[in-house]
Amino acid sequence: MRSKGFVRFSNEALMSDLFARPDKTLCFAAAGVSYRKVRKHIMGILKKIITSNNKKRLFVLGLDGTPFTFLQKQMEEGKMPHFQRMLEKGSFLRMNSVIPCISSVAWTSFLTGVNLAKHNLQGFVDRKLNPFRVYIPTARNIAVPTISEILSEAGKRVVSINVPVSYPPKEVNGIQISCFLATDLAKAVYPKHYYSYLKEIGYRIDVDAWQGRKEKEKFLKDIHYTYDKRLEAAYYLMGREDWDYFQLHIMETDRINHFLWEQWESGHETYAAEFDKFYNKVDQLVGDLDARLGNDVEFMILSDHGFCSIKKEVYLNQWLEKNGYLKYKTDAPKSVTDMHPQSKAYSLIPGRIFINLKGREDEGSVAPGNEYESLRQELMEKIIHITDPDTGEKIVKKIYKREDLYSGPFYDDSPDLVVVPNDGFDLKGNIKQPNLTYKGELVGMHTDDDAFFYLRNYDIEPQEFGIIDMLPTIAELMEFPMKEAENFDGSSVLS
Amino acid sequence: MTEQKATNITWHGGSINQEHREQLLGQKGVTVWFTGLSGSGKSTVAREVEKKLFQLGHLVYVLDGDNIRHGLNKNLGFSPEDREENIRRIGEVAHLFTDAGVITLTAFISPYRKDRDKVRGLMKEGQFVEVFVDCALEECEKRDPKGLFKKARAGEIKEFTGISAPYEEPENPEIKLDTKQQTLEESAGAVIEFLKEKGIIKTNSQDAYSDDEKEIINKRLSDLGYV
Repeated sequence: MRSKGFVRFSNEALMSDLFARPDKTLCFAAAGVSYRKVRKHIMGILKKIITSNNKKRLFVLGLDGTPFTFLQKQMEEGKMPHFQRMLEKGSFLRMNSVIPCISSVAWTSFLTGVNLAKHNLQGFVDRKLNPFRVYIPTARNIAVPTISEILSEAGKRVVSINVPVSYPPKEVNGIQISCFLATDLAKAVYPKHYYSYLKEIGYRIDVDAWQGRKEKEKFLKDIHYTYDKRLEAAYYLMGREDWDYFQLHIMETDRINHFLWEQWESGHETYAAEFDKFYNKVDQLVGDLDARLGNDVEFMILSDHGFCSIKKEVYLNQWLEKNGYLKYKTDAPKSVTDMHPQSKAYSLIPGRIFINLKGREDEGSVAPGNEYESLRQELMEKIIHITDPDTGEKIVKKIYKREDLYSGPFYDDSPDLVVVPNDGFDLKGNIKQPNLTYKGELVGMHTDDDAFFYLRNYDIEPQEFGIIDMLPTIAELMEFPMKEAENFDGSSVLS
Repeated sequence: MTEQKATNITWHGGSINQEHREQLLGQKGVTVWFTGLSGSGKSTVAREVEKKLFQLGHLVYVLDGDNIRHGLNKNLGFSPEDREENIRRIGEVAHLFTDAGVITLTAFISPYRKDRDKVRGLMKEGQFVEVFVDCALEECEKRDPKGLFKKARAGEIKEFTGISAPYEEPENPEIKLDTKQQTLEESAGAVIEFLKEKGIIKTNSQDAYSDDEKEIINKRLSDLGYV
């Protein structure tokens, strides 16, 4: 494998040279130990270290939005026998996500080991100022190297399939097939020549979520088809490529959760079984990979967040408008960018609140310093008490100030406040909603404390940790020191 | 024609330079030089690029072959010497526009390699982007938007590029377009993509999506309830 051969050779040469020095013999003889024996022993240890250094390979299976507690339940009920078998030979732990709890932010923290003020992927949508606009961030906006780039630079061979956020694909030492942020398969593949293969097998980037809302049968078919094709491509590349790091991302778990979670939870006569059937397929994948990978490859499985049923969608901009903090320039605003200069605050999905700060926002109205601080305080005190007008239930679990969560070069772009809801209240960024809450077509939403982490062949002590700790963990697992480590916000769960 | 006639002159620079102007405009000055046969689509693509860049908020200007011959170069014909002088003058104008920080698009047949290379030589590294608008002669003749091929075939136009005068294809153009295969949208998109990659258009350099793609991704994310 390219440079590795050279490394091995030079280390061995170095060792031989070391042990070839005759004066050492005398030292060992004086100590009453056979020099040959000692040499053999030490050579053995060194060789083991060097060889293992060269061969540390890792396979990561990402199951987007699959909760720890859900897997536990399925296993208890005997619905996921393969995964259950894996528990005997590895560690299965509950893991925290990130705040705000969004796949693109969580996986970017996984890929980079840092918080969003360092990697700059702050949401599925984000804002740019001067002029004020809302846009969809992509891999181009990630400000620090991702694991694929770090390993590529060191000459390691990487394969990454469908991992958020990997569009547009990077020119890695290996292969990247972009995530659901890609609109056209032809532009989603690096190197380009794999495109024709993917096209030929009928590979799909993502399911059509619209069907999830309207035609559940078609949606389920789509889920299975997209998932099967993803696996077909993954197995093809696993066999064909000489990889050191392989990350396969299953997005269909998140998609089925979004549209059928409630049905599963309530034991719907058709869809609960369909739900179990799909997860049974995922269970088979886990068993199959376990067998295929063999014990010389490390095997990690994880999700990025948990899930729960949606009671109501909640529109914070509606609350801000109604309470006099947000106004629009026109009667029919298209987005928050049509905000009136007198506005004090606005929100982007999910639960991110930005103060209309003078000197920062295009038409700021709130002075920095005391005015800003007292407004944040006021909003926190009011928003924490918001209730569902229909049921009186408390909507908000906690509100963070940006300084409680983030640090880094993109801190100034981060939200001034982040609202974390109670389970069941899905915070949205829609504007001009007639009511604060609404029960819509989406039935499942993310939770930030119920992701899972599994690592084969390791006995990891129970601890509180998050997805941000994964890259340091991988660095240790692959025995690969990363120069980026000094910037990491997390730490390895192995040590 | 290109000898230095004026003597005792000194280049006078002010305290404001190209970089300052570029900062003001939020873009980099550049000359995008479209070259190709008559009817290959140079002006059409240039005008489309102009429209798109303008919509993105950029200062952009098209120097178009026929238009320049109406004024600045009205005293030039189509002999090899006049063609050379035509391109030299346009090159100098494009150079000034580029220095002004403008995204300058030129659409001239500019058939001779050495003339184009001379213009390249006027500019700093990276400020001259040669776009070869490749289109087979038969296709150009079929299009014949100005009826010129017909006239040339009838012998009414002398020294017509591709028929009675040579066209020297660029050897290493920055961009090669195939206007027979590509749609106008694709051709213009390729030029804009290149300008983005090179950091010439800065404001939207991190946007990964075209307007059409934005619609697709917005729909996908909104179906998921993410936007």
